[in-house]
Amino acid sequence: MTAPVETVAANVARGSGSPGGTRPVRWVLAWIAVLAVTFTAVVGSNVFGLRDHFFEPATPDARPPALGRVAGGAQVDGADGAPTSLRSQPWWQEVKALEGTGTMTAPAFTIAEGAAQWRVKGTCRSGKIVVRSPSQARPVVDSLCPGEVTGFGSRSGPVSLQVTADGPWKLSVAQLIDTPLVEPLLPAMTAPGSKAIASGSFYNIDKSGTGRATVYEQADGRYSVRLDDFFVSPHADLQLRFSTLEAPRTSKEYRSAKSEFIVVMDVTAGSLNYTVPSGGDPTLYKSVVVWSSAVNRAYAAAPLGLVR
Amino acid sequence: MTTAPPLASQAAAPKPRPEIVVRGRRIPVVLPKKSDPRLKLSATIWTLTFLGLTVLSFQVSIPQIAVTVLLSALIEVGVTYRREHVLVWPASALQTGISVAFIFRVAGMRHGDWWSVRSLPIFAFVAVISLLPKYLIRHNNRHIFNPSNIGLAWALLMFGPSHVFSEHLWWAPLGVPILISFAVIFGGAFWVLRQVKMIPLATAFLATFLPIIGLFALFGRTYWAGWHHGPVGGSFYWLTIALSPEVLIFTFFMITDPQTAPKSKLGRLIYASLTAVVCAALILPQTTEFGIKVAILSSLLVTCALVPAIERLVKCIEARRSPEVAASEAPKLPLARRLAVGLRNPVLVVVTVIAIAAPLNTLLLSRDSKVELIERGLTTRTVQ
Repeated sequence: MTAPVETVAANVARGSGSPGGTRPVRWVLAWIAVLAVTFTAVVGSNVFGLRDHFFEPATPDARPPALGRVAGGAQVDGADGAPTSLRSQPWWQEVKALEGTGTMTAPAFTIAEGAAQWRVKGTCRSGKIVVRSPSQARPVVDSLCPGEVTGFGSRSGPVSLQVTADGPWKLSVAQLIDTPLVEPLLPAMTAPGSKAIASGSFYNIDKSGTGRATVYEQADGRYSVRLDDFFVSPHADLQLRFSTLEAPRTSKEYRSAKSEFIVVMDVTAGSLNYTVPSGGDPTLYKSVVVWSSAVNRAYAAAPLGLVR
Repeated sequence: MTTAPPLASQAAAPKPRPEIVVRGRRIPVVLPKKSDPRLKLSATIWTLTFLGLTVLSFQVSIPQIAVTVLLSALIEVGVTYRREHVLVWPASALQTGISVAFIFRVAGMRHGDWWSVRSLPIFAFVAVISLLPKYLIRHNNRHIFNPSNIGLAWALLMFGPSHVFSEHLWWAPLGVPILISFAVIFGGAFWVLRQVKMIPLATAFLATFLPIIGLFALFGRTYWAGWHHGPVGGSFYWLTIALSPEVLIFTFFMITDPQTAPKSKLGRLIYASLTAVVCAALILPQTTEFGIKVAILSSLLVTCALVPAIERLVKCIEARRSPEVAASEAPKLPLARRLAVGLRNPVLVVVTVIAIAAPLNTLLLSRDSKVELIERGLTTRTVQ
């Protein structure tokens, strides 16, 4: 249907490919096209993170997980600190507890590079308290005492707080991070007389969930739940609950059966421990479900099979 | 005696060619023939697109389809008119456009967003990079790469799995919609391939590809896909790749493009088998559906680039069989001279870049842990 199409490149090829041919402009254009294709090929390879640079991905670069609810704690044996791109719902990790009387410069602490913000929470007994960070123009805290005080900062790196107070005070610094939390097993889980009684792997219901849930019967008669290599689609105030259903497949199905509250999950990725509220009896239930009361949806569930 | 004109001269009377007049200038118009296989192919893909929009949960909108198809057509009409001063019905470009829109997806779309205008520039870009190589990268007056194949593969690799993807390997659970799709694909394939005599080529591809994928399944290869909980393995691995509607469309409607496949029968068989082997080799290390789909598309870029070499190989084989053909062959230049000439030829350079970069970048995908997180639903794609 179409007659022979004279192309830029074909002309160049036939004209011995030299700029001294009849169409030097086309020759230059053809080589610019070659460069453009080569450039896009390099971008497509993502070497040096070029593709991520031009087309920023939603998936973040891998970072090591937090190895405790307190920052800078010693690494515990058995905790897997391999870097991961998975992210949790942002959660508060304790950084430093500060205590003093009157005016002083508090011991310095370091806010992690990836922290979204940091928080100072505490109490003071008399007069007034002002807490300043050299990196912030406005005071972090400026409150009358006695009472509870709260303030926020956003700069990461080393922070040294200048506290001006009339009396004794206690402050706790925490940072908001989204890295997964990898906790070692609770001592009560490994104590003599404790045993794993049920476990199962998470599957998706309305959102994504992976990992493994294990229910422990502790020596003191209480129960606890361990989540290993766990991830659930992040959302605030997700609840971990027991369900009488063996494997609920929909939110509606989950709602139709009896369930029992275990905990509100502040962290949604990593290896985590939760103690079942006193009086709770997991043996009456057949699965663990991650439930969002905010959107009325079951995110994921794990059937609880007996551990032999 | 009658003086009626003889029947033969009546039949030979030239048919008036359709034309339009623009500002007093007569522009001939070339319309498609009913027997044009590209129309049959378009009908097949349009039917599947309709099924996708209605019962198969395709995450594509009507504006996205329209932009891709119309822009492709516009480019072809414009280029052809500029070169030949004729308005030619853009059958090939329409085919390219609908093929791209049929397979290409952007993040953030949901089935039923029929009027979404999300990421229209990306669809337009894919249409352009599908069509341009057709005019710019040519050998012996034929384009080298299948237009929709190069556009899709290049866009998927360049934008990456965080932003774009191609339609799933397995469209829906086994049921009426998927069975109708299979009927349309196989029916359309028979309708089109019989006319262009490409059934042996498609058969050669499947005869090579299916057993290799079977071996992969047997040796425990798995992949992650967003539509499946847990890794896809075992017989389902084989089924969802070997009999994937996407792979069947690739087999029946992409590798069988007469413009980019070798001309000789033997060449076509070599080309089909080689495509299957390259495709399987690129699939082997992939652990995600995205990687597998890019591997399938990239394999054809490699073998399309090798078509001139395949044709030369076939000539060599034929020359050994018949001495007359060998005697008629022109003497070859020394290798060093041929390389020197080749390096000054931008077409050859760009074909080499594409043929190396596509499989290499596909293999690099298998080392990208983020792709697996996306397919497992543990992280999201970036919504444009």
